Amino acid sequence: MRLYPPLALCAATLAAVFIGTGSADSMDGAPSGRLQAKISYCKDCHGPAAQGYRGYFPIPRLAGQQTEYIENQLRAFIEHRRTNNIMFNVAHALSPPTIAALAEHFRNLNPAPIGGAPRELVAAGKKIFEDGVPDANIAACAACHGPDATGSGQIPRLAGQLYPYVIKELVNWGKERGQNPARPDTSAIMSPVAHSLSRAQIEAVAAFVSYLK
Amino acid sequence: MDRDPRLAGAMLPNERRRWPPIKVAELSLAAPAAVLAAVLATAAAAAENKGTVSKRDVDAKLAYCEVCHGVAAQGFHGYYPIPRLAGQQTEYLENQLQAFVERRRTSTIMFNVGHVLSPAMIAALAADFHDLNPKPLGGAPKDLVAGGKKIFEEGIPATDVPACASCHGPDAKGNGAFPRLAGQLFDYITNKLTNWDKERGQNPAKPDTSALMQPIAHKLKDAQIKAVAAYLSYLE
Repeated sequence: MRLYPPLALCAATLAAVFIGTGSADSMDGAPSGRLQAKISYCKDCHGPAAQGYRGYFPIPRLAGQQTEYIENQLRAFIEHRRTNNIMFNVAHALSPPTIAALAEHFRNLNPAPIGGAPRELVAAGKKIFEDGVPDANIAACAACHGPDATGSGQIPRLAGQLYPYVIKELVNWGKERGQNPARPDTSAIMSPVAHSLSRAQIEAVAAFVSYLK
Repeated sequence: MDRDPRLAGAMLPNERRRWPPIKVAELSLAAPAAVLAAVLATAAAAAENKGTVSKRDVDAKLAYCEVCHGVAAQGFHGYYPIPRLAGQQTEYLENQLQAFVERRRTSTIMFNVGHVLSPAMIAALAADFHDLNPKPLGGAPKDLVAGGKKIFEEGIPATDVPACASCHGPDAKGNGAFPRLAGQLFDYITNKLTNWDKERGQNPAKPDTSALMQPIAHKLKDAQIKAVAAYLSYLE
């Protein structure tokens, strides 16, 4: 996992800071220190403020994410509802209280979006996000993800999410989500939407949400 | 978490009864080949005149509606509470879709959705939703139900709130222009009754039946609204 030297350095620094803070106010001992270590481990890949990171794969922003969504996804990796070997191994080792604590931690972070998406796509993406494409039976993203794309409960925040990550998820929805037939899940809701969107429409929506704060 | 909460108590998509578009298939089975061509030509001409839609287009549109309105149109908690359409009165559904388009009822999302629907498509969708009957989503505070039942059945004579049942029916199934309320989402009803004046009857040039509910919504206190909404949300 520690493949990215600049981040690894950041993470090491952060870890040192966290360990320092942790020992300063850790009247209740080890759990807090272990949690901080786990947080810094997540940030090795998801970025120093969990704003997302472009590794070999686009690694999603977790900052500001809905806690219910994060918890559900971690379980989805474990239950092979969502396929990802790296995240299966990561999630497999987490206890329910640790998952809850991590989700809460990420929820409260609010770094600026990474940006970098083609600006000229933003206007078209905004229109699709707010109005959908009724003629093509594409629902308005805002109906479920909210007018600011902050999500709600089980429905994820999309604001500030990485442009290439949103594209990858929407393009591969049917191959990555809802993969355990014994356990159908909420990912089924997005399936027809992802399927109906053209590549150009996906790129436009991804560009729009990637700049939202 | 394991199962899509929208699937709870709902029929699976392949269990649903779908709107039959035109009866060409049935006719063709009964008709001799020579007559068939004429029947088909007539059916096609009629279809064009009335703007009939194909089953395929209706099914695709229904799937689109259910992205937000939930499996079997039982309602869904998106960013907003998105209403149950299952079992709804066809006349009410058609009127609301028109209301969005005519800006009598304000919803930017539903304006866009309604704007592209042909009259034939609206009729087909309304008929299909009317025939669906999934279980209510539930989730409302159970302790409010008894109070809500009393208001629904008897009204609140002291403050001139009429019994909801007198128009919406004893089972809250509605009738024609009066909507079904049974199984409707708790937070959707709460939201509508609280904001009636700001969402309904918004086009002064086109006054509509929403005016009937206006004084009633106005008289209901927050606690009374929640009680009625809780009661209705569990009705099958």
